[in-house]
Amino acid sequence: MLSPSLVFLSLLLCLIRLYLIIPTPTVDRQRRRKNTDTCSLAVFLGSGGHTSEILTLVSAVNFSRYTPRKYIVSEGDHLSVQKAAALELLRFNNASKIDVSNNEQYTILTIPRARQVHQSLLSTLPSAVLSLVACLYHVVLVPMFFPKGNKYGFADALLLNGPGTCFVLCIAVYVNKFLGLPAPKIIYVESFARVQSLSLSGRLLRPFVDRFIVQWPQLLQDRSRGEYHNWLV
Amino acid sequence: MRAFLTVGSTKFDALVQTALSRAVLDSLNRKGYTELVIQCGGSDFELASSISQDEVFSVLRNGIDITLWRFKPSLNDEYERADIVISHAGSGTILDVLRLGKPLIVVPNPTLLHNHQEELAEALSTLGHLQSSSVSDLARAIETFDSTALVSFPLFDGSRFSRILDEEMGFK
Repeated sequence: MLSPSLVFLSLLLCLIRLYLIIPTPTVDRQRRRKNTDTCSLAVFLGSGGHTSEILTLVSAVNFSRYTPRKYIVSEGDHLSVQKAAALELLRFNNASKIDVSNNEQYTILTIPRARQVHQSLLSTLPSAVLSLVACLYHVVLVPMFFPKGNKYGFADALLLNGPGTCFVLCIAVYVNKFLGLPAPKIIYVESFARVQSLSLSGRLLRPFVDRFIVQWPQLLQDRSRGEYHNWLV
Repeated sequence: MRAFLTVGSTKFDALVQTALSRAVLDSLNRKGYTELVIQCGGSDFELASSISQDEVFSVLRNGIDITLWRFKPSLNDEYERADIVISHAGSGTILDVLRLGKPLIVVPNPTLLHNHQEELAEALSTLGHLQSSSVSDLARAIETFDSTALVSFPLFDGSRFSRILDEEMGFK
């Protein structure tokens, strides 16, 4: 039988572990990579304006360096898949024929939606759980059991800009961190549309992501975590 | 000259309805516009029942040639051909239009919940990149709009994000 003190002790240990893995400003940022190294990149496409904005960011990065790429979409979001495929095709066609490292190195992962637009918070619970299970499968389980077929684990970097489902992805990444498994660096870029107030995803993820970036300086007036580098899109 | 009005991927009943009003059409007329193209999406308004999903509907009203349709896969050609764009305040539309260097009047949709469209419209209007208006103020906004006074919108600079990602991932 579990004694209360045992429960308390395990809770305490969990909290200490969580405290240890939350990013801090002074953390030794990263291992250095050589210019010839590659990094795998995962990008969550949150549909509509979220997808357009984050694909604009992806279009800015060096595709031979950030390869292979994974696009994560919510179930039924065909438009985001089309937009990602269009970007990949464009880059593929523009890449020099000698540069074989850029040969459409991308995959699409589909996960159930955590929350429908205008869905009430209570009815969100079952769909959020389903979504979490799918994220845990892709982020924790697959890389754990097929490390060879998936030599980078889930990804080295994960780009997020909202909405809902990206929070669930972040939880899955934290399971990896908690267990000491390889976990991607999470970069969150708040939408260009957010001028005076952060989005719900932004507010939730702010303490937990490795980089929290906003596109309007007003959003950092509370002097809490975050950075502003002018407009990124 | 041609004006193009877009409501984006959803609907904006009041904006389409007011665009067809005498006041707005007269303003366009006085500013020298002869054509008005309206992407009405799923909006409900006086002519909505006459426009089926893939159909183009034309009507001449107050000396303006009006063309209405619901959706197209890409609006970029329409932006290119327009002399002025009137739009809902969605950030995607705003970025697309301003990057093409087209004069833009935005009308935030007040019926949207948690409306942050208005924040963006106001911020960009303060910086002089566009004109922000409202459904009831549209006719006046068109008439007093001076596109030569707009501040040109900066080009997309991909190096900013690329630098952040490289830095985070340990590339020098």
